[in-house]
Amino acid sequence: MSTVIEPTEVVLEAYNLANLIDRHQADVWRYLRYLGAESTDADDLTQETFLALSRSQFEQRTPAETAAYLRTVARNQLLMLRRKQGRQIDTVELAAAEQVWATTVDPTGMDAILTALTDCLKTVDGRAREAIDLFYRDGLSRKAMAAAMNIKPEGVKTLLRRTRDILRNCIQRKTKREV
Amino acid sequence: MNTNKQKNADHHDRLFDTALREVVGQETPPNLSKNILAAAGEKSQPVASLGILSMEKKVMTVQQQTRRKRNFYIGAALAASLLVAAGLIFPRGLKQATQEVAHSKALTPAVKTEITQDTKPEKPAGTTVELPEFEVISVTTTVEVPGGGTVLLSGMKRLRGARDESAESDEKGMTSDKLMMTVTPHIIIEEGEEERLSISGEATAKPAPPANTPGLQPGQMGLQGLINDAYAALPATSSPKQQSPAQTDKETLSFSMGFGRDPKSKRDTWGYGGGVIGKIAVDERNFVWRGKTEDLDRRVNQNASGNKPLTLGSKWAENGTEIPYIKRRFRNLGEQGQGPDASGDQYTRIHENPFLAAAGEQAVSTFSIDVDTASYSNVRQFLMQSGQLPPPDAVRIEELINYFDYDYTAPTDDTPFAAHVEVASCPWQAEHRLVRVGIKGHEIANEKRPQSNLVFLIDVSGSMNQQNKLPLLVEGLKMLTCQLGENDRVAIIVYASSEGLALPSTRGDQQSVILAALEKLRAGGSTAGGAGIQLAYKIAQENFIEGGVNRVILATDGDFNVGTTSTADLERLAESNAQETGVFLTVLGFGRGNLNDAMMEAISGKGNGNYHYVDNRAEARKVLVEEIAGTLVTIAKDVKIQIEFNPAQVAAYRLIGYENRMLKTQDFNDDKKDAGEIGAGHTVTAIYEVVPAGVAVETPKVDPLKYQLRAEAAAPLAAAKPASDADASDELFTLKLRYKQPDGDRSTKLEFPITDNGQPFAEASDDFKFASAVASFGMLLRHSEHSGNASYDAVLEIAEDGSGKDLHGYRAEFLQLVRQAKVLAGE
Repeated sequence: MSTVIEPTEVVLEAYNLANLIDRHQADVWRYLRYLGAESTDADDLTQETFLALSRSQFEQRTPAETAAYLRTVARNQLLMLRRKQGRQIDTVELAAAEQVWATTVDPTGMDAILTALTDCLKTVDGRAREAIDLFYRDGLSRKAMAAAMNIKPEGVKTLLRRTRDILRNCIQRKTKREV
Repeated sequence: MNTNKQKNADHHDRLFDTALREVVGQETPPNLSKNILAAAGEKSQPVASLGILSMEKKVMTVQQQTRRKRNFYIGAALAASLLVAAGLIFPRGLKQATQEVAHSKALTPAVKTEITQDTKPEKPAGTTVELPEFEVISVTTTVEVPGGGTVLLSGMKRLRGARDESAESDEKGMTSDKLMMTVTPHIIIEEGEEERLSISGEATAKPAPPANTPGLQPGQMGLQGLINDAYAALPATSSPKQQSPAQTDKETLSFSMGFGRDPKSKRDTWGYGGGVIGKIAVDERNFVWRGKTEDLDRRVNQNASGNKPLTLGSKWAENGTEIPYIKRRFRNLGEQGQGPDASGDQYTRIHENPFLAAAGEQAVSTFSIDVDTASYSNVRQFLMQSGQLPPPDAVRIEELINYFDYDYTAPTDDTPFAAHVEVASCPWQAEHRLVRVGIKGHEIANEKRPQSNLVFLIDVSGSMNQQNKLPLLVEGLKMLTCQLGENDRVAIIVYASSEGLALPSTRGDQQSVILAALEKLRAGGSTAGGAGIQLAYKIAQENFIEGGVNRVILATDGDFNVGTTSTADLERLAESNAQETGVFLTVLGFGRGNLNDAMMEAISGKGNGNYHYVDNRAEARKVLVEEIAGTLVTIAKDVKIQIEFNPAQVAAYRLIGYENRMLKTQDFNDDKKDAGEIGAGHTVTAIYEVVPAGVAVETPKVDPLKYQLRAEAAAPLAAAKPASDADASDELFTLKLRYKQPDGDRSTKLEFPITDNGQPFAEASDDFKFASAVASFGMLLRHSEHSGNASYDAVLEIAEDGSGKDLHGYRAEFLQLVRQAKVLAGE
C-alpha cells in the first residue's frame, strides 16, 4: 500500500540576486575551471550562469539545491560554448565529472576543502613543497621543474604524485570526505 | 568498470588540481558581482517588438508580465522611441550633423541621414523603482534603393575615448558620453533577382567598398553600403518591390537606438535599436551587454538573419578605425539553449549508416523497430518556432518517416502486424533502388482498449516553469484524461527536489479528481528524476492489471540534476524496472533549452516504451488523443527486422536512419536482446537504398579472413554451400521479422522473400513517394553525404505529389517545414 504524499507546496521565496551571487559565484567559477574551461571562459560563463538564473523563475530553497541548479546551468553553458567553438564534448564525461563534484564537494561549497588544503600544506616541506610551488605557483612544466630541482622528469612526476597523495589523505582526514 | 574507476580518479585529480591552483597558484575566482548585477539589470528590461518578422506570436510568461509591469515606464519610453523609429512620430529636435553621401556603385544606396540625439532622464512620479536614465538616438535616413532592394540598418553606439585604462571604477570609465554612430544599410537581393537586376551572383556576394570608412570622427555619421545576398534567407517580409532594374526607390528610413543608464554608476546598462523602411521592419533585437570593465563598447545589431556571430568590444582608435580587442559570443537568433535556464539541449551523435557490400556476413542487415516520433516534432519546433535549422544530431530520419501514418493494410489474422514491401527507383540517385519495408500493427478502437493502469510521472522542477513545458504538459494530460473511462486507473507522481504521490491510483471516470490534481501542479526546485521513476514503477506495480495496459507516462524536459542523473544509470533503472515489473514506459519531452533528448530516447527504448516530443497543443492531441491506442497499447514487443540481401541482385545497400537501433546479426534470434515495441495501429517504415548488382559503389573494405577457409575445409559438413539456388534466384532479399507477445518471453519469426519488378519511381504509391521525400528531407537536414541529387525543391515536388489523403493535415504541414528549411538554408 502506498502512502499518499501531498505534493510539496511551492513557496515562491524571493531571492536576493546579489546575495546569491556573493555566495555561489566562486564555486560556479571553480566548477567551470574544474570542467576544463579556461579562466577567461570561466569568467564569461559564470556571468552567463547567473544571468540565466536571473531570467528564470528560480526559487530558492536550500543552498545545496541552488548550488546543484547553478552547476547544471553552468555545465550547459559550457556545452553551448564548446558547440559554438566546434569542439567535441563528451556529455557522459561531463555527467561523471558532476557526479564526482556532487559527492566530493560539500553542498555549501569548496571552502572546507580549501581551508583543509591550506592547513595541510603547512605540513609539507622540503622538496615536496618545492615541487608543489614550482608546479602550481610558478606554472613550470615537469621538464623545467626537473632542471630546477636537478632530478629526472620522471622523478618530478613521482614526487608530485606522492605529494598530492599526502595532501589528499590529509584533507580527507580533516573533511571526512574523499577528495 | 575499471575504466569508470580510472575516469573517476581523473575527475578527483582535476578537482584536487583546482584546489591547488587556487591555494598555491593564487588562481582565485574573480568577483563578478558588479558585472553580473549590472547585466542582470539590463536583461530584465522589456523588449519592445515591432513584431513584423515574428513567425509566431510570442506568449508572455507570468514572469515576463511581472517584469513588463516593473519596467513599465522604461518600456513606454522605449516604445515611444520605436514609434519615432517607425516614423509615426516625427523626431524631436535635430542636433547633429546632416550628411549626404552619393555612391558611384549603381546598387549602393545613396543615403541622406539626419541624427537626433535626445537625452533626458525619465523619472515618473509615484514609483519606488529607481529607473535608469533613458537616452534615445534617432536617425532619419533617406536611401535610394535600386528596384527590388531592401534595406537593413544596423547601429552602433560608441562611448569614445573616455575610459581610463587604469581605472576599475565604473564612474570614471563612463564619464564621457560622446557618441559615435554608424548606420550600415544593407541591400538584400532576393534570390532570382540577380538576372533581373543584371548582377552576377559573384558581384552580389562581395561587399561594395565602404563609402565613408576613413577618418570617422566622434559625433559624425559613418555610412557604408554593402551589397550582400547573405540575407536572402530572411523571412518573407523582405519581399522585393516589383520594379524594373532601372528604377530606384527613395525611401526614408528611421532608425532609433535607446540606452538605459544606471543613475548611480553612470553605466549604460542596456541598448536597443530598430529600423524600418516603408512597411518593412528589420528585426530588432534587444542587445544586452554583460560585460567586463574593459568592454565599454556596445553594439546594437540589426542582423535579422542572426546567423553570424559578432565581435563585440573594440577600441575606437584616434584615427577612427575600429580595433577589436575582445571577442564576445553573441547568441544567434533562435539558438538552442536560450530560455530561463539558458542551458543547452543534448543530443546523441549520429553516425550515418554507410553503404555495405551485400557479400558474406555483411549481406545481412538487422535492426530494431522504432515507433518514436520525437525527432520530427523537435525538428518542427526548430524550424517553425526557433527559426533555425536543427542541429544534424537532432534529426533521426526514421522518426521523421514514422511520424506519418501510411496506408498499409492491417493484419486480418491473429498476427499482431502485417508487413508490406515496395521497391522502386531512388529519386535522389537514379541508378539506385529504394526499398520500403512497412509494418502495420492491428488496430484497436479506443472503446475496446484493454483496462489501463497509468501512472503520470510529472516533472515539476524549476526548469519546467515555461509556457511550453508544464502548462502544455498539463493540458496534454488533461486531453488524455478525458479519453479515459471506468476501466482505467490513473495515479500522478510529481518530482522536483524530491518525489511524491500527488494522486493515488484513481478510477478513470473520476475525471474531476484527476483534473483537479493536474490543475494543482506548480513548478519549482531541482529535478530528482531518478527517484521519481522508481516511485512511479512502484505505484504502477501496486496497481498492476493482469492482461491490461500498465504504463508509466513520464513528462519532462529531461533535465535531471539530483540523484540518479547519468543517462547510463537511468537506462539501467528503466530497463530493470521494465523487466521486473512488466510496466511499459512512455516518455513525453517538452520545451527547449535544456531538452535532454539523448537521455529520453535512451530510457524510453530500454523501458519498453516510446518517446514523443510535444511542442504544441496539436502534437499533444495527436499523441494523447488521436493515437492514444498506439501510445498506450503495445501489441508486440522486441520487434526486430532482418533482411538478407541476395548478392546476385544487390551490390550494396544502406539503411536510412535507425542508426541507434542497429543490431548484430546474431541478436535477431536471441530473445534476450531487447528491441522496439509496436503499438496498436502503429505503422513503422524503414527505407533501404539499394545499389543493384553491376553498379559501382564504394563500400568499406574488409580484409579477407585468413583462417575461415581452412576451418571450413576441416569441417566440410558444417560449411554452407557457397552458392545456393537462392543466390541465383530473382529474389532481391528475404525479409524476416521477429516479435514477442506483449507479455511473452519467446519470439515468433515471420519470413517473406521479395523480388524487384523494376517499378519506376513515377509509378510508385503515394505513400512510397511521400516517405522517400521525408527521407531525403532528413538527409538534407543531416547534411548527409548520401543525399545525391536531393534538394529542398525536389523534396517539395515529390512530397506534394505523394501527399495523397491527408486527413489531419500532417503532410501539408510537412510541406511548410520543407519550405521553411529551404529559406533557412538559403536555397
